[in-house]
Amino acid sequence: MKVPAAFRSTKGIAGVIVVVAVLAVAVFAPLLIPADWATRMDMRARLSPPTWAHPLGTDQLGRDLMFRVLLGAQTSIFIASAAVLMSIVIGLPLGLVSGYVGRTTDNVLMRLVDTLLSFPALLLALTISAILGPNLQNTIIAIGIAFTPFLARIIRGEALRVAQMPYVEAARTAGNSDLRLITLHILPNIMPAVIVQSTISLAFAILAEAGLSFLGLGTQPPDASWGLMIQASRDYLDRAPWTALVPGTAVAVTVLGLNMFGDALRDALDPRARGAA
Amino acid sequence: MSYILNRVFSMMLTLFLISAITFAVTNILPGDVAMMIMGTQSNPEALAGLRETLGLNDPLLVQYGRWVGGMLTGDWGSSLVFKEPIAPLLLQKMTASGLLVLFSMAIALTCAIPLGVWAAVHANRWQDTAASSTAMLGVSLPDFFWGIMLILLFARGLGWLPSSGFVDPGDDLGAAVRHALLPSLALGLGLMAHLTRMTRATMTGILKQEFIRVARAKGLNESTVVWRYGLANAVGPVMTVAGLQVGYLFGSIIVIESLFNYTGMGWLTYQALLNRDIPLIQASVFVIAAVVMLANLIVDLLYAVVDPRIRLS
Amino acid sequence: MPIDQEPLVSVDKLRVEFRGEDGPIVGVENISFSIAPGETVCVVGESGSGKSVTSLSLMRLVEFGGGRITSGRLGFSLNGEQIDLAQTDSETMQAIRGDEIGMIFQEPMTSLNPVFTIERQMTDGLRVHRGLSRTKARARALELLQQVRIPEPERRLTQYPHELSGGMRQRVMIAMAMACEPRLLIADEPTTALDVTIQAEILALIDRLKRETGMAVLFITHDMAVVAQMADRVVVMYRGKLVEEGPVERIFAAPQEEYTRKLLAAVPRLGEMRGKPAPEPMRLVGEETAQASPTPIDAAPEPLLKVSNLTTRYPVKGGLFRRTIANVHAVEDVSFDIGRGQTLALVGESGCGKSSCGRSILRLSEPTSGQVLLDRTDILALNNRDLRRRAWRDMQMVFQDPFASLNPYMRLRDQVAEPIRNFAIKTAGTVEDRVAELFDRVDLPRSFMSRFPHELSGGQRQRVAIARALAVNPKLIIADEAVSALDVSVQAQVLNLMMELQAELGVSYLFISHDMAVVERVAHRVGVMYLGRLVEIGSRQQVFENPQHSYTKSLLSAVPVADPTQRNIRDDLNFRPIPSPVFPLGHIPAPSIYDEVAPGHQVLRAQMGLGLD
Repeated sequence: MKVPAAFRSTKGIAGVIVVVAVLAVAVFAPLLIPADWATRMDMRARLSPPTWAHPLGTDQLGRDLMFRVLLGAQTSIFIASAAVLMSIVIGLPLGLVSGYVGRTTDNVLMRLVDTLLSFPALLLALTISAILGPNLQNTIIAIGIAFTPFLARIIRGEALRVAQMPYVEAARTAGNSDLRLITLHILPNIMPAVIVQSTISLAFAILAEAGLSFLGLGTQPPDASWGLMIQASRDYLDRAPWTALVPGTAVAVTVLGLNMFGDALRDALDPRARGAA
Repeated sequence: MSYILNRVFSMMLTLFLISAITFAVTNILPGDVAMMIMGTQSNPEALAGLRETLGLNDPLLVQYGRWVGGMLTGDWGSSLVFKEPIAPLLLQKMTASGLLVLFSMAIALTCAIPLGVWAAVHANRWQDTAASSTAMLGVSLPDFFWGIMLILLFARGLGWLPSSGFVDPGDDLGAAVRHALLPSLALGLGLMAHLTRMTRATMTGILKQEFIRVARAKGLNESTVVWRYGLANAVGPVMTVAGLQVGYLFGSIIVIESLFNYTGMGWLTYQALLNRDIPLIQASVFVIAAVVMLANLIVDLLYAVVDPRIRLS
Repeated sequence: MPIDQEPLVSVDKLRVEFRGEDGPIVGVENISFSIAPGETVCVVGESGSGKSVTSLSLMRLVEFGGGRITSGRLGFSLNGEQIDLAQTDSETMQAIRGDEIGMIFQEPMTSLNPVFTIERQMTDGLRVHRGLSRTKARARALELLQQVRIPEPERRLTQYPHELSGGMRQRVMIAMAMACEPRLLIADEPTTALDVTIQAEILALIDRLKRETGMAVLFITHDMAVVAQMADRVVVMYRGKLVEEGPVERIFAAPQEEYTRKLLAAVPRLGEMRGKPAPEPMRLVGEETAQASPTPIDAAPEPLLKVSNLTTRYPVKGGLFRRTIANVHAVEDVSFDIGRGQTLALVGESGCGKSSCGRSILRLSEPTSGQVLLDRTDILALNNRDLRRRAWRDMQMVFQDPFASLNPYMRLRDQVAEPIRNFAIKTAGTVEDRVAELFDRVDLPRSFMSRFPHELSGGQRQRVAIARALAVNPKLIIADEAVSALDVSVQAQVLNLMMELQAELGVSYLFISHDMAVVERVAHRVGVMYLGRLVEIGSRQQVFENPQHSYTKSLLSAVPVADPTQRNIRDDLNFRPIPSPVFPLGHIPAPSIYDEVAPGHQVLRAQMGLGLD
């Protein structure tokens, strides 16, 4: 099979490399690196700048930042993926039903979705997390709920577009039931949009998790995520800026990789969007 | 005229839904306001008494009715943390945040539009690659990361601007602007990157349109073709995206204001969330959602000004 | 007629390349022809022939689309001097564009900038090239609008493009291109997107302006009929190469090249079926002649399909709560029969309701009232389940756009097999065998069965769509503009296939089309629609040879004939614009009353509120 042109561009290749690398770290780092390497406190080397012993420096408790970042990848990626998965699981049927059934169902559902979209996603996630009590599981729920309206909106638009295509009408006259029509003819044709949107949402979810944890309303110690590391660094910015820069760079590189990957994916899957940034 | 009436009515309906969602979200928690006021260790009888006085034993629908009624009559209740009436508190903080949002939007738009158009004109050449890569990097950095970098550079490093605090423009305009500058920049840089990408995408599409070819066939020079014929068509879509980003900004201010200790709406909401100050959470979440909706309504109405096709329908 | 003097344009060995994924792609090569002052040269070819690339190269606009002129000369006589447009710097080119050479494009809907007024768009060229002041430019714009005969020109200047109809926009485009009195007008498929009556108007207008001003015209088109009407000389192109060139009469009477002969054979000529009672397949060059269908004209007295008083209205939503505020009367009191093994063609211009009519019969759009009887089954009375089992078991549809009528994510085998499985159609062998047989029947190789739609050409896809429709052994196939999107040679093959299938299987067609020449080929009976009504219906000969309704007459008079000896472009045509089919909620239209002028030939009684004389 031919590699689509979008993945032969620098952007596409870089995106694939970063995404694969980050996923590899998230999966294998906890298997290869003993957990206590990230929690071992070196009291003589607190807030140490990068040295041979600690290539990326240490935090206020003298914990090695390199190992913390590598091990934190799993938490951040897990939360983001679970949240996006949750928003797809809720948003996909909502959007499909709204777009396919139309009429009153569509009016009511979309009015609700539009209203939810008035709430800034981060505010919604923060509020839900604060109310439920911040922890790893509730962070997933909070981000998942906050992202659902976006997905539902996009899927509904796609379902509406596809449902009007002649091939769907042809399939209808070919005797397909509504269920077959949706699963065999509509769903496959909106999947490209769903996949692209999921990739972009994943990038946003990583940012959201970092934001939540940064404010202390996301992941809680002893779970270690990148956002939490940045939060911990806040009081030491003057003396040890690397404590913020190291996890911050990890977030940025991951999100950048996902965005590049998502862009290339969109170019490859959706010829209409070709030429978009 | 009927269009505007229609929109206003639709807005009322949305406001009502916003209040319902706000109330629902803040009532899913196991504890309640009485517990928060008196603490978990309090005497159960006193707690029950307070619940009775606060009406917490009433059905949720009645509580919701009371809450909406209070909002409508101007009684927004008191904050549990700040021990102050909520309405004036929100008004003051919203002004502070409004300043940030306007500043960052202005910074973002003035840079994003020329940059995006420039990238679109040179699509797939080095100018485009440079602009698009920078923008891509920009949208990938978390806002607080921008904030931290700005603090390190301008406040700690160069010492040009204060790194924290809020000054009321009424007291000292110069100081107010100086305090607002870094947080606005932190908000604006990410926004700028996003709007650059949008402008580029929109303009790339427009430059492929037939009327652009017609404009060239008329013998107009390239700058007229791009900056007049092209851009005039991009204003509407870019404005719409900018309007949608107001929502994003009001999410980001929570992070940025607490990072910069800028005591605006975001900071206030954060304090309310941290302390589970339910009346304040409800009021500020409602107000933020309402402001975001209003911003989008204004953008919709402005769209009709820049696009004659909307004007008539 | 070519005038014996120095040519205005002389294209010599033009070669244009485009950047491709894997190295440059040749757009056109070795193209040479010339245009004399005052002459109309038509460049004709099917899609992908490079005809537009040629015209865009002359304007040097091809560079903005990623193309590059790699060799050849584009001679142009400027102020008595010959210059090479291929070598001209961009400032000089800007001065020539819109001044010496004007250009109009295919899509009047997208050629005008939607956010600027007509005045602004008409005057900016004048201000650049002529340095006119705002008021003088406005006066000139007004004069131009009068020249192209637009009603209420003053008001048009203040309007925006979306407030004008397609025909009017194309007039504005022409006025704009004429602003600086160019010596060459390039028209790139200027009438392709327009209805046939509007096309006739625009062709007449271009022809008149050419005669009045003495400018030369380079006319790009895919339509041989338009060529026959407009050209002095013709350049035939195929796949980026020039096939042949010559005076229009010679090209049509004695084409030298095989490709030109094939192309001309595939073009139906209005009027060539005169006197013939039954449809006839086209005689294509290099293919065995398809069998003419032995037509069972009303062999069975009972018609297969009986449509009575069919009415379909679509609600227009608006206001608070998106209530219905008006109705589009898409189909209004339409009645007709289709006999077994027969083809009824519904013709009319866009928006006349012919497609809605077809969709209503299948209930893809829900009719408001009326009756549809298919073999005595009352289609409109069926519930959803029976609709599937009984209506669609016997009636199938072939859609217009071959690129949208097949599911891109499903193998062709499965798409053709779907109706067989869903309706549990009895087959001699396996379902797979039946699908293979259907592929044979529509002349597609069996190897295509495991392919996906994107691996096929437009014509091949349309064959798959026909195979899918045939899978249920339907009694009736509704073909909604089924050949309109195809190139003319492919169109002829698909038409012949459809006629063959009718002869073999006895299937009936409801053939919906805007193309009168195609309809004359395939139809037994013809119904003419206008504003939701059937204004005239009769046998093909009755309608084409003895049209009675004024609309049918004007429609037929507007169709260009693919024969340069039968030019029907008159000085200036101005057809009455079609009124809006949107009516307020309570509106009750008058019923359709017909006069039977001959057995089976019915004409709508005049003055049915149609705005016709």
